[in-house]
Amino acid sequence: MNNRVKAWLEEGTIDIFLGYKEIDHHPLPYCFTRERLEEVEDLVVSPARYSLEKIATHMAAVDPDVKIGILVRDCNQRALNVLYIWNQLNPNNIRTESVNCCPSRLKEHGDCSYLEPENVGPYKKQVGVDNILPLEDVEMYAKEEGFDRWMYEFQKCIKCYGCRNICPVCFCKECSLEHGELVKTGALPPDIPIFHLVRAVHMAGRCIDCGLCEDACPMDIPLRLLYQKVNKIVMDLFDYETGTSAEQSPFSILGDTVKLEPKPIQPARIDN
Amino acid sequence: MECKFVPSVCSYCGTGCGVLFEVINGKIVSTLPMKTHPVNEGKLCIKGWNLHEHVNSSLRLTQPSVKTFGRFIKTDWDEAIQLTADRFREIIEKYGPDSIGVLVSAKITNEENYLAQKFARAAIGTNNVDHCARL
Repeated sequence: MNNRVKAWLEEGTIDIFLGYKEIDHHPLPYCFTRERLEEVEDLVVSPARYSLEKIATHMAAVDPDVKIGILVRDCNQRALNVLYIWNQLNPNNIRTESVNCCPSRLKEHGDCSYLEPENVGPYKKQVGVDNILPLEDVEMYAKEEGFDRWMYEFQKCIKCYGCRNICPVCFCKECSLEHGELVKTGALPPDIPIFHLVRAVHMAGRCIDCGLCEDACPMDIPLRLLYQKVNKIVMDLFDYETGTSAEQSPFSILGDTVKLEPKPIQPARIDN
Repeated sequence: MECKFVPSVCSYCGTGCGVLFEVINGKIVSTLPMKTHPVNEGKLCIKGWNLHEHVNSSLRLTQPSVKTFGRFIKTDWDEAIQLTADRFREIIEKYGPDSIGVLVSAKITNEENYLAQKFARAAIGTNNVDHCARL
């Protein structure tokens, strides 16, 4: 892997390689460049996952022509496909180096520490939704019971926006979750269940089931299950499996002109 | 293009969550939680997630200003500190040292907190020192 990345940098196939390097025992994302080729020896596959493709979109926003190499697991690859579809990255400028995926029901061997289920406490099992339950089991709850259980989970929300911020396929400049008329401001928990449902609806045909949102949620809300459910509906209705190909999703932008009024920008108040 | 990742500690409260700043061409573009940090284990609150915003904010105060006739006038540090010292002296002479209190913060370091209480006790001469994290 390291030799291949080195060769790519030397040949000029890529300008920057996004991988991981261990710094003070913390595996952290790291940019390997042609100028410091010897550092490629330190390139590692980290057990901790960061959204490298989201970082790549930030880099492409600064310089659209920069050629980026990325270390990818399956989830990163799916996210890249979605980002290609939505024109956030140009596939011609991206080179990927695939590594083993996280352990899951499909793949037993993996390099990733996440997706090893945490122990869920008895109270959460009794009144909430167990994060590691398969979707089919959660769908079995009766209407009222299911609603109560999900509301228990949502009311814990501290509105940190972590799920949105870490999401590799969230790139909108204006986010509905910050729109005062959709989600009222100034109270905790935020407007539930609207806050979470707005996000869930926007995840339809976008969520690539990487689990980073749930990983980042300080309140352990089973977000992954929620978005799996929305994607299941997309699958049933449109036969579209998000992230598996760089093929346009059924949720393309309608028409060429957007008639929605942009959110008015509030001028900042300065008292003096 | 220069892109680097700078590990740091969130400055908002005393918890000490590990954060990672994403710096592209010398500008902080995003803050990420450090996944392997023992304190926050890859999670952050809303303040931590937005650490980079105040660094780049155009409203950020970059130099001291002194309120004169109801308006803030920008000045340099020497003058600001001299003015503050003069006013402190006046107040202490008129009302005594206990008329002044010092509020310190969890956002600053342990050493700075120590210096602030030392300043309150030794320079001003009061025990009126308090801290936002003294819950």
